[in-house]
Amino acid sequence: MSSAYTLDGVTCRFGNLVAIDEVSLSVEEGEQVAFIGPSGSGKTTLIRLLNTMRLADEGEVSVLGQDARQLGVRSLREARARIATIPQHLGLVPNLSVLQNVILGKGGVRGTLRSVRDLLVPARGDFERIHSILDRVGIEEKLYQRTSSLSGGQQQRVAIARALFQEPEVLLADEPVSAVDPARARDTVELLVELSREHGFTLCVSLHHLELALEFFPRIVGLRSGRVMLDGNPSDLDASRLEELYDLSEEEMMEDA
Amino acid sequence: MSDSQKYGRRRWVVLGVGLLFLTCSWALGLRPAGLVPPDATHWERTGSFFAAALNPAFEYEDDNVPDDADPIWWKGLKGLFLTLKFAFGAMSMAVPAALVLGFFGSSAWWPEPCRPGVKAVLRAVYLGCRFLMSFLRSIHELIWALLILSAIGVSPLAGMIALALPFSGTLGKVFSELIDEETREAGVALKAIGHRPVQTFLVGIFPAALPNLVTYSFYRFECALRSSAVLGFVGIETIGLYIELSHEEFYYREVWTYLYLLLALIVIVDLWGAGIRRRLNTDTGGCRA
Repeated sequence: MSSAYTLDGVTCRFGNLVAIDEVSLSVEEGEQVAFIGPSGSGKTTLIRLLNTMRLADEGEVSVLGQDARQLGVRSLREARARIATIPQHLGLVPNLSVLQNVILGKGGVRGTLRSVRDLLVPARGDFERIHSILDRVGIEEKLYQRTSSLSGGQQQRVAIARALFQEPEVLLADEPVSAVDPARARDTVELLVELSREHGFTLCVSLHHLELALEFFPRIVGLRSGRVMLDGNPSDLDASRLEELYDLSEEEMMEDA
Repeated sequence: MSDSQKYGRRRWVVLGVGLLFLTCSWALGLRPAGLVPPDATHWERTGSFFAAALNPAFEYEDDNVPDDADPIWWKGLKGLFLTLKFAFGAMSMAVPAALVLGFFGSSAWWPEPCRPGVKAVLRAVYLGCRFLMSFLRSIHELIWALLILSAIGVSPLAGMIALALPFSGTLGKVFSELIDEETREAGVALKAIGHRPVQTFLVGIFPAALPNLVTYSFYRFECALRSSAVLGFVGIETIGLYIELSHEEFYYREVWTYLYLLLALIVIVDLWGAGIRRRLNTDTGGCRA
C-alpha cells in the first residue's frame, strides 16, 4: 500500500501565528483518519495543506506521491481534481439547483467550456449517475431544487454528492458536522466512512466531536496548537491523554478570552 | 475598548458632525427664512405650481399650439418612450462593460496559491480597473453630456454614451464588490477541486452573484430613466426637454402631466423588476423539470 500523504516537518504560519508546527505524519491510501482537537488547533490549515490550497512554509508535503511545492499550475489542477474537499461551509452555489452543483464536481477534469455546458444542458449519462448518487445519499427527490432552499443537513448531502461525482482518490472534509444537530452529525460521519469503504477512497475528516471520531474511525490524530499530540487506533489511545487534549486547551482558551 | 470609552468616542463623532453642519451652513449663508418665498410674485408662483399638481393639463395651456398637433398625453407618452430608449440603450452598453470591469476589478477568482509574478500582474489590472471605474463615476452624466455634446454635437448617440459612461463605473464598482463579498466560499471550494480561475468565475462566482447583479441592475435602470429625463435639460429630446420648455413658460399644469407620466413609468419598471426578482428566487433556481 502506498501513501496518499506524507508530511515531513511541516510548518505553516499566518504572520506571527504558527498554525501548523513541525508536523510529520503519513496517511496511507484507503485509510480513514479523523483529525481531532479544539478550535484553533490547526485542523483547517491541515486540510488546506492536504488539498494544496495552502503550501507549507517549511517542510515537505507529498500529495498522491508528488511534492506539492514542485507542482506547476497544470499538475496542481490535476492533483486537485483527484482530491475532493468538503469545506466547513460547504461552498455550494446557493442559487443553482442540486443537479448543477453536483455536476460541477467534475469541473476540474472537464475544463471551462464543458462546465458551462454542463450547467446549461447536462448530458444524459451524467444525469443518470447523479440521480443514483443522490439516491445513495438520500436526497434523490431534490434533483431540481434550488440548493439554498434545502435544510442544512440536505445541503451537506449535496456537498457529499458533489464529492462522489468527482470520483476522488481522497475525500477531505473540514468539520462536516459543525452546523447540524447531533443525530444528523452521527449519520453524516457514518455515511462518509461507509462511502470511503464502498469506493475505496482515502478519507480525512476534521472533527470537533471526540465521540464521533472514536466511534467511527480506525485512526485518530489529535492536534493542539498546531502539533500532533496523539496518533493511533482508538483502542490504543489512553483515555486520560484524550481528555488532556481538550481540558488543557479549554484552559488556554479561557486565558485567551 | 470598554463600553464607556466606545460611547465617549461616539459622542465626539456626533458632536463633530453637528459642528461641521453648522460651519457649512454659516459659510454658505443659510437662513431658515430662505425657505419662505421672498415676495408676493414668488408666493403666487409657488401657490400656482402646487395647485397645478391637483389639476394636471389634459390639453395644452399654450394657445399658440396648432390644432393639428398631437394631444398633450400623446406627446408625453412619446417623450416617455424616448426617455426609455435612452435609458435602455445606455444600460445595454453599461451592463456588459460593467461585467468586464467587475471581473477584472474583483479578486475572488484569482488562483490560490498565487505566484508572486502572476499576483503582481492581476493586482495591477485590478487597481487599474478600480481607478477607471472611479474616474467614470466621479463625473456626473450631465457633465459627460456637456463634454460629449460639445465634441460631437446633439445626437441620440451622444446622450446614450453620456449616460453609459458613469453608469458603467457605478455598476462595475458594485458588481465587483458583490462578486468579492458574497461568493468567496463557492469560489474557494471549486478552485480546491481543480477548477481554473476563469472557470471558477463562470460556473461558481457569477451564478452565485447573479440574483444580486440583476437586482442592482434594475435599480440602476430606474436611475438611468431619471437621468435620461434630466438629459432633456441640455437639449436632448426626452421628457425632460418637454418639462423644461413648459416650466420656462410657467405652464405648471403641463409640467405636472409630464411628471405624473414619468412617475407611472418608474412604478411600472419597479414592478417589472420585482417580478423578475421573484422568479430568480423561486425554488427551482431557473431549472425546469
